[in-house]
Amino acid sequence: MDGGRIQPKTEQEERRVLNAAMDAGHILLQNGAEISRVEETMERICRHYGVMTGEFFVLSNGIFTTGGQTSDKTFARVQHIPVKGASMDKIVAVNQLSREIEDGKYESIDDVERKLEEIRRMKGFAAWQQILASGVGSGFFCVLFGGGFADCAAAFIAGILLYIYVLKVSAPHLSKIVGNIIGGMLIVLLSLASYHIGLGVSLSPMISGAIMPLVPGVAFTNGIRDIANGDYISGAVRMLDAVLIFLSIAIGMGVMFTIYHSMTGGIMP
Amino acid sequence: MMMELIASAMGTVAFALLFGVPTAYYLTCGAIGAAGWLMYRLMLAIPIGPTFAVFFATVVIVLLTRFAAVWRKCPATVFLITGIFPLVPGAKFYWAAYYLVTNQIAEFLETGFAAVKIMVAIVLGIIFVFELPHRMFQLPGRNKKAPKIRIMRRG
Repeated sequence: MDGGRIQPKTEQEERRVLNAAMDAGHILLQNGAEISRVEETMERICRHYGVMTGEFFVLSNGIFTTGGQTSDKTFARVQHIPVKGASMDKIVAVNQLSREIEDGKYESIDDVERKLEEIRRMKGFAAWQQILASGVGSGFFCVLFGGGFADCAAAFIAGILLYIYVLKVSAPHLSKIVGNIIGGMLIVLLSLASYHIGLGVSLSPMISGAIMPLVPGVAFTNGIRDIANGDYISGAVRMLDAVLIFLSIAIGMGVMFTIYHSMTGGIMP
Repeated sequence: MMMELIASAMGTVAFALLFGVPTAYYLTCGAIGAAGWLMYRLMLAIPIGPTFAVFFATVVIVLLTRFAAVWRKCPATVFLITGIFPLVPGAKFYWAAYYLVTNQIAEFLETGFAAVKIMVAIVLGIIFVFELPHRMFQLPGRNKKAPKIRIMRRG
């Protein structure tokens, strides 16, 4: 089934296999894969190249690997992997690679190393594409919340401006909590502004649509799946991440509502 | 209704781009997002309330996600994360924040609790369907058995 297992000849080769497995795990974890997928992929790569002694311990922000004879470990490595934004294309690519390794398409570990380097350098979508997508997404989700055409146009604009803020200010310079509080404030501010200049008639769908790009979908879904898989530590960390972001957005919205209230004397459209 | 289906599909695709999903999967992502929304609207037509409607919609999304993952040979995450988005209770969220700062505590509790119930419905939908055995999702003729790897589970 395994396309002919390859026996590693030297200790040197065994190290390279373990390193390659760790790099694959690194890419997966960094881009928002579940813990079980990371462990499974690393295990598969090691088994295929005949390294049967690899042991992995994967957390949501780090991988610990040891290898070699059980009595005398010759390989030990710890990698800290800070949580980054998700990019699914890299997960798909590593998944594809792991399938192909299993089908025996990669004779030597050199090819795997080269392929992993290629995946690491894969370019995601350009900033303007992401900004546009955020606007389009906000606009269409506004429809689902019962918004009319003008509301959706307002949500579209808010989504675009919000993502410019996310890419240029929040992600590179601010912590998650502060970044999302200001993000929440920004959405309400933009929606109130477009309401007052006459674009859009109902605030609720406008704002609901515009907060969608901030919703921590990856952290939430992965948190659930990790907990369901029994990876409680990582699952709990990811859920905490999602809950914190949700709360931060809500606080930001609330702050802006309060400011608006005190300025207009308690009238909310 | 038609407009809503288109909106849910397009919104899902837009978010697929945001999460860096490869272009080849957009059509599947959009279709799953729209199917979830359709199920949600159909369930709302019978009086079981929004929480159960979201639960059944999630079940449909995750079932389709798992079929799509086997069919397109790619991780389920790709379709799951994007497909769930139309069900996120954004409006409830908005009202909860609004009631909280305007000191309408009873209304805040009601909306906030409704939002939490919907999130729990999504969680349960995902967990239950991922519990189903993998072979259920293999299409006939493509029965290449996935290699089973035993790994030790850790906390």
